[in-house]
Amino acid sequence: MEDKVKKALIDIVGEDNFTDNLIDLISYSKDASEHKHRPDAAVWPGTAEEISAILKLANMYRFPVTPRGAGTSLAGLAVPEKGGVILDLIRMNKIISVSVTDRLAVVQPGVVYADLERALEPHGFFFPPDPASGTVATLGGNVATNAGGIKGAKYGTTKDYVLSLQIVLPDGRIMRTGSKCMKSSSGYDLTKLFVGSEGTLGVVTEITLKINPKPSLSATAMATFEDVEDAGRAVSEIMHSGIIPSALEVVDQETLIAINQNTDLNLPEVEAILIAETDGHTREETQFQLNKVIDIFKKNNAVTVKQATTQEEAEALWTARKSAYAVMSRINYSLAVEDLSVPMSKVPHMLKVISNLAKKYDLKIPTVGHAGDGNLHPTISYDSTNSDEVKRVEQASVELFEKVIELGGTVTGEHGIGLAKARFMPLEHDPVAMDVMRSIKKSFDPNNILNPGKMALDA
Amino acid sequence: MEAKYDFEKKYRDQVLRCSNCGFCRAVCPVFGTTLRPAYNARGKMLILKEVMDGTIELNDELIETLFQCTTCASCAENCPSGVNVPDIIKQVRKDMVNIGSCHPAFKGMNEVLKSHTNIYAEDEPEDFERERNKKAEYVYFIGCVGSYREDEATLETLDLLDRLNVDYTLIDEVCCSGVLEDVGYEINGDLVKKNMDRILATGAKTVITGCPYCSRTFNNKPQYAGLAENGIKVLHITQFLKDFDFGVTTDKLVTYHDPCDLGRHCGIYEEPREIIKKIAPNFVELRHNRVDALCCGAGGGVRGAYAKNSIAMARRRLEEVEEVGAEVVLTECNSCVHNLANAKLRKQKFKIYNISQFVNELMEEAE
Repeated sequence: MEDKVKKALIDIVGEDNFTDNLIDLISYSKDASEHKHRPDAAVWPGTAEEISAILKLANMYRFPVTPRGAGTSLAGLAVPEKGGVILDLIRMNKIISVSVTDRLAVVQPGVVYADLERALEPHGFFFPPDPASGTVATLGGNVATNAGGIKGAKYGTTKDYVLSLQIVLPDGRIMRTGSKCMKSSSGYDLTKLFVGSEGTLGVVTEITLKINPKPSLSATAMATFEDVEDAGRAVSEIMHSGIIPSALEVVDQETLIAINQNTDLNLPEVEAILIAETDGHTREETQFQLNKVIDIFKKNNAVTVKQATTQEEAEALWTARKSAYAVMSRINYSLAVEDLSVPMSKVPHMLKVISNLAKKYDLKIPTVGHAGDGNLHPTISYDSTNSDEVKRVEQASVELFEKVIELGGTVTGEHGIGLAKARFMPLEHDPVAMDVMRSIKKSFDPNNILNPGKMALDA
Repeated sequence: MEAKYDFEKKYRDQVLRCSNCGFCRAVCPVFGTTLRPAYNARGKMLILKEVMDGTIELNDELIETLFQCTTCASCAENCPSGVNVPDIIKQVRKDMVNIGSCHPAFKGMNEVLKSHTNIYAEDEPEDFERERNKKAEYVYFIGCVGSYREDEATLETLDLLDRLNVDYTLIDEVCCSGVLEDVGYEINGDLVKKNMDRILATGAKTVITGCPYCSRTFNNKPQYAGLAENGIKVLHITQFLKDFDFGVTTDKLVTYHDPCDLGRHCGIYEEPREIIKKIAPNFVELRHNRVDALCCGAGGGVRGAYAKNSIAMARRRLEEVEEVGAEVVLTECNSCVHNLANAKLRKQKFKIYNISQFVNELMEEAE
């Protein structure tokens, strides 16, 4: 990095908020994906004005800037692929306000999801999109990826809750989108453009979120299936049965085997288990909904069905799903966490496709997922030091996504494209759509300084 | 490629298994106060992976993060991939010392213990007004912090043991030197021998200590295996006191801070609470308690080497005390007491005590 650029950055953020130390450059070179590249420096800005000045500088000297939250991206969104400066937003971590009457919360991008959850709890409210990384992931990151979570089937994803954003554009101008109203039809919906734009169109510096009253009761049930396609059919049927469960998750056989190897949960190693939760304000309501779910489980050849009778039992049932990542990561050195989504009617077939691919390429692909919105996470566990295995992982991924697109699906339900899935963008989006996306990027960021090299936008 | 450093020989698999998920950010006390990713477990593992790949060497530039870790093990406890970062860090520190790259505070500590009896290089042991090296059923081992920095608290603990008519003796103790193994060096054989000889000479069958770090050292380090071989048990004072009845209570709102060395490292969570419940029925847990307890910031040598961050970590823990509105914070570790007390702001009105010290005060007031 040129000395004058370094000096200019220090002038903007202060010496304590700038680093080009080796230990920091290495720490910022990775997120939770397999991609890696060091930045030239990192800064911890405190205000939108500082970020504005940094982006103006970036345009003047043409260096890349990569905004970053907790760096838990599974797709390389936060990896500074072209070097340049990391904008670590973690110090912008204030919950600015919570208004129950207006049903909204205003937060800075560095606020950790779990801290927001804790702040809303005493008011009886919650922010439904609950990513598994919620103990560390930041709201800025949630907005960048349009994060989902276990409650997605009923409550939707981040984009359904963002009312307004303050953004610093790549040229340094600061603007607001949306409003604090529950609904608005005023002008282009810029808010929705930025949500899920992976830090390529602007840096989010303030987020106004709609919050939901939290249902006080829930009911949970787990069903085991000897045939994964039966489980898939049960999922489809549940989601068009008239009720909507607050969660409907699938855990496959490979995952169950891994869980049993690493815990003493002693789960049956069947082809698939489904865990469903219904929520509401009365016992009758939650039970009515869960009864429908249980009927469908049974209709689709569930071998066992168990309903939790206490809070502890419900938590025990959920442990199977929530410990999945942990046990998968112990199978081998590396994980390629995929994130495909398919139309609901294709879920049964997709589950079978994944297990066939695992056999074809001799790979372990434990799969869990938000079956209720057709979003599956086949997670290839492999030895990254074995070049043959790495090649097979790539081949399996390509065939997987070709199949997904064939079924009318998408290569990413919630993790985003970043670097990991950039090569599949042309597979999913037609040439006109790709051209339009590139035009939008160019219009916002003519010098391509903001998080460049992502989403296959660099033609 | 042959592994260059011992940490790679022992822990290569674990370093590779780190999936860089970042979940350790939620629990690392150093990261929690500084918000600097280079300090937390993931940052450290990324750096060590590059060392293993040969893209960087172990060198002085890495001291700032590899020697700044309280070894609280919250990361290990919460790591989905089962990576034991503190164990890896302790080994890396030995590799760094081997190549001559070490934090000066720890190099200094090692030197001090070659010619002094304690980490503070104090020459005169505090006079606790009690005979040392008697024959007795129990040895009470104070530890360096209790002897030279929290002597008031230690005096009260000894007063309590007297009130309970415990047949104990102090000894001419020297630093257990367990800390050296954690900061890149080796336990000091001369000091071990002195402690062993002096303990054995008392004829005691049990060593009680208020320092959970010393009790871990005595119980786990092979250099102290002679204790068990001679049928000598080592107890932390909370394990010893839990069966006593004290006949005093307070109605103050009391909370308990689990020291990392007693809680997460030894699994001793209930004994201190059993004692507290007897004397303080008005008890409230801190938000992060038992296995999730937040580190006070003193451990792993951080107090000496990175004092500013150490105090910041303690302050962060004390915010949790304010959160529950406790009037009294109890713990049983002189290091924790020392760091928390140093960090307490004047406007924070709660008091910080070791349990044994607090019980003694209650008994004194009752007289």
